[in-house]
Amino acid sequence: MSLTIALAKGRLQDETLARLERGGVRIDRELLESRRLRLADTSGQYELLLVKPADVPVYVEYGVADAGVCGSDVLAEHDADVHEPLDLGYGRCRLAVAAPVETSGNDYGHVSTLRVATKYPRVAGSYFRHLGVPVELIVLSGSVELAPLTGLAERIVDLVESGRTLEENGLAMTDVIAEVSARLIVNRASYQLKRAAVAGLVAILAG
Amino acid sequence: MKPGRPIDLSTVPPGVQYFLDDEVALRRSIERDVVGVFSGWGYTEIDLPIFDAYDLFALGMGDEVASRTYRFTARDGTTVALRPDLTSLVARTVATRLRARQRPLRLAYTGEVFRADEPRRGRQHEFHQLGIEHVGWASPESDIEILLVALEALTVLGLDDARVVVGHAGFFRGIVERLGLAQEAVAELRTLVDRRQSAAVERFLAPFASAGECAAFARLITLAGGMCVVDDARALVTNPRSAASLGELTAILTTLGELGLERCISVDLGDVAGLGYYTGMMFSIYVPGWGLPLGSGGRYDGLLAKFGSDEPAVGFSLSLDWLAGAIAARGLDASRRRTPVSVVLEAGSELGRLFADAKRLRNEGRPVCIVPAKAEEPAT
Repeated sequence: MSLTIALAKGRLQDETLARLERGGVRIDRELLESRRLRLADTSGQYELLLVKPADVPVYVEYGVADAGVCGSDVLAEHDADVHEPLDLGYGRCRLAVAAPVETSGNDYGHVSTLRVATKYPRVAGSYFRHLGVPVELIVLSGSVELAPLTGLAERIVDLVESGRTLEENGLAMTDVIAEVSARLIVNRASYQLKRAAVAGLVAILAG
Repeated sequence: MKPGRPIDLSTVPPGVQYFLDDEVALRRSIERDVVGVFSGWGYTEIDLPIFDAYDLFALGMGDEVASRTYRFTARDGTTVALRPDLTSLVARTVATRLRARQRPLRLAYTGEVFRADEPRRGRQHEFHQLGIEHVGWASPESDIEILLVALEALTVLGLDDARVVVGHAGFFRGIVERLGLAQEAVAELRTLVDRRQSAAVERFLAPFASAGECAAFARLITLAGGMCVVDDARALVTNPRSAASLGELTAILTTLGELGLERCISVDLGDVAGLGYYTGMMFSIYVPGWGLPLGSGGRYDGLLAKFGSDEPAVGFSLSLDWLAGAIAARGLDASRRRTPVSVVLEAGSELGRLFADAKRLRNEGRPVCIVPAKAEEPAT
């Protein structure tokens, strides 16, 4: 029985494809270099869908893909109702709060409503709610570091990998919300109905 | 609506659905077939109100579900809600008006329920359920009966490759009782098990058991399977409550095996999703090619006590919307459509004869449409 896997394009794509290849799931080089978004492996056992990272949980929840690989940041933001059998350990980074370097740490006492720019409104909203800090969430889809520089927001919530982008834009991390890594997720129905194939995929990706 | 402010008739609120043509025919025929199976097992239908007291639903389903109801104020000032579930309504009826009726009580219901959720995973604000409740007899017989009714309904619908995945609420409860976990720790372990994060489950259990036992347990709850899973579990988990639930699962599997239904059923000891609600055997139904469960059910012996009548109950419901989706996706709908052998009668002839002919044809069981004669344009 074949499995359909949704892969996050970008940050995690190369490492995931490398792991799959080490486990014997090979994609024709030519196919990879094409612009096709739906690729079959050479054995015909697996079909890969290349999708935007934030869309991986959507494909898997609906069962259009049996499984998927994406960051745990995406899972938290989407609140995905899926199984998550494997922490793949790569793509490590942090989901963090950052502020201009001159701002004092995580003291939020002086503002009535904190303006927070982020691509993760759900995670950011829930984080500040639990701190009892009223926030105005400003949802951006990229270049979030610009927001404090231009006065759009006082804080950002974003992925921090090396910290260099923050540094170069005069920002510093003030709090870590979550450690992030790549995860294998599996649709609940596929988990039950394609048990052997899913176990096979877990074994391949566990390396 | 004030005069002069036209409503935009093509805009519908999110989550609202209209069904047309073949879709309606398919839904009706599914409902007919499933209700036919229910009545074949002696379940009598109960027709339930669309709205009822908000407090009733909060009592039956908890504040979480109740908070997502559409609610409004009745004329006497009480808060009422569009029903977010049907079981609460059945339970209150069983505990009050039907209190004196002989047990076991077998009731079937169909209807739409309403939740003001963000439409998600194909679930709209309104969805349609077909279900049964079996009240007043805690026994392996009633658990097995519910599973067999579910399987028969699926077979009648042509979904004979459906898989019923069975778990037991007592298995996990027994383990956390044995470990003496505090409430937050139980919630944490439950999330890890629900997500099937086997490595994290192993780490969580490390302080409580040997490394080998932890690994075996993590494997157990993360891998679904047949009778062998239950046997493995019995060797590993020996607390009385878990052992009793494994015994119940064995009885169920053995009987279904004797009926030749082994291939339709599998065991999943990691099923903890419905733990707040179910007290015994519980199950979900899946079919290949459809990523969402078509139905679920189980034993909830605590529910009726909330309504003042402490008695056991077991039941299940199917999602009409997802059954229709799964069946339509397979292209099985052609056989379910009532083939329109519609007979066209041209108007313009003698009216009495026209309608007499039409009646004769309908009496023969053929659908009849009366249409204008070809040359004429329909009257406007």
